[in-house]
Amino acid sequence: MKKSREFNNILDECLETLLTKGATIEQCLQRFPKHADELKPLLETALAANKQVSAIQPSPDFRDRARYQFYSALQEMEHKKSRAFFSWGWQPRWATVVAIVLVLFVAGGSTAAAASGSMPDDPLYPVKLATEQVQLAFTFSSLGKAELYAKLAEKRVDEIAFMASKNKPEQIERTAQRLDTYLTKIAVLSSPQEVTPGVAMAPAVEEAPATEEELAPEEAPAVAQAPLAEQAPAAQQVPAVEQAPAAEQAPVEEQPSVAEQAKAGKEAEGKVDRRAKLEETLENQAKNNTDRLRALLETAPESAKPALEKAIDVSETGYEKALKSLGKKP
Amino acid sequence: MQDEESLVQRAKQRDQEAFAKLYEEYFDRIYRYIALKIGDKVEAEDMTQQVFLNALQSISSFKWKGIPFSAWLYRIAHNQVVDHLRKTKKRVAVPIDESRASSDSNPQLMAEQSLDIEQLLSATQRLTEAQRQVISLRFAGELSIAQVAKIMGKSQGAVKALQHSAIVALRKTLLAGTDEEVQRI
Repeated sequence: MKKSREFNNILDECLETLLTKGATIEQCLQRFPKHADELKPLLETALAANKQVSAIQPSPDFRDRARYQFYSALQEMEHKKSRAFFSWGWQPRWATVVAIVLVLFVAGGSTAAAASGSMPDDPLYPVKLATEQVQLAFTFSSLGKAELYAKLAEKRVDEIAFMASKNKPEQIERTAQRLDTYLTKIAVLSSPQEVTPGVAMAPAVEEAPATEEELAPEEAPAVAQAPLAEQAPAAQQVPAVEQAPAAEQAPVEEQPSVAEQAKAGKEAEGKVDRRAKLEETLENQAKNNTDRLRALLETAPESAKPALEKAIDVSETGYEKALKSLGKKP
Repeated sequence: MQDEESLVQRAKQRDQEAFAKLYEEYFDRIYRYIALKIGDKVEAEDMTQQVFLNALQSISSFKWKGIPFSAWLYRIAHNQVVDHLRKTKKRVAVPIDESRASSDSNPQLMAEQSLDIEQLLSATQRLTEAQRQVISLRFAGELSIAQVAKIMGKSQGAVKALQHSAIVALRKTLLAGTDEEVQRI
């Protein structure tokens, strides 16, 4: 009994020095040669297990989503009393959305403003990310979202540069993962299936898929589904069903008026312009950001270089993917 | 980290910066703790989120009377896990098959092979509840024996004994898994 208690103490002492002080197994065994045979396999197992446990990391997407919800809840609680004034008997979903908007854009404006310049190692950085998520949630068109992601991508590169100067490789990696996510989103959102400059498809692609895909399930319904339910039947299905028997009326119903055609044409033109502008922005960003990160590689501390190299790779492949999706030939 | 006690006091007053620091400090560790306890990384995500939302709601009731904030937070996480397991009735303690866990297996083999996360998650599910709790708090929670003892309401000696038996059991399970792999090849 006493012997086993003694061994438990020795094992824990070794583990403590291995896990927290970076000692090696050999060093532990040298300290306790009498127990070396028994200790060695257990320390090997513990070390291998600990290594794997440390590798269990939440995904960046989940991390951002969780932060967003946590900070929303934090701010919502803070303003609970004042919000009671606005209890108009709405659905809780809508109330939450409105509360978040109020909190982030009005009541919590000072915090959000203070957070806007924060960097990944700053305590207010999650507020910055949460504010961005709200902006994205309230941007309904695919193109609009792609434009916003392009702006955010630029911010992430600024942050990577800052983190490189502070020699924080872990933050560089995390931020590069976010950059990768954004550039992938731009590629998806600006793909031809997602954003078609044609007239007939315009309303559908503008409003439905991007918002649904973009938002977490908890966030999505209030924003995304309400307009969908209202618009889909009213614009397309109802007239078709009602007027189907009258053969001569059908073609009239399907032909848009001259004014409508002109309006749709203008909208399509505007969208083409915006796509071209987005393409130009991304081209500039691709060049400038990659060049900038490459330049940093020369001056960055050695320990930050591997993470920086990954970020350069993300920037190169990500922008290429996004530009390809916009129809830009390599 | 800045003095935790003062951070917690500020967090109780809804100080966002203090809360942010506590959140960032513990988020990954709580996630790893839950993932290791339930053996499912995806489900651990929702549960981690819930732990912090619960903490946020009840922070005002937290009193610093010798019980560290970490103990309180892991207690919330523990309750969340228990609740989850009760609802899903998913995990049933599976005893280690002693006959297959041969101590004659090549001890180098396991150290040499890169232990897979899924293997580890699966192996921890074969531990007893108390062993798993110690391993999760020690490795995923990065807590000292003294802190684990406080959270579990046990003596440090008892926690050290559990730690020892848990590592022995993990080794046996992992070696048994390695034997199976070798036989399959």
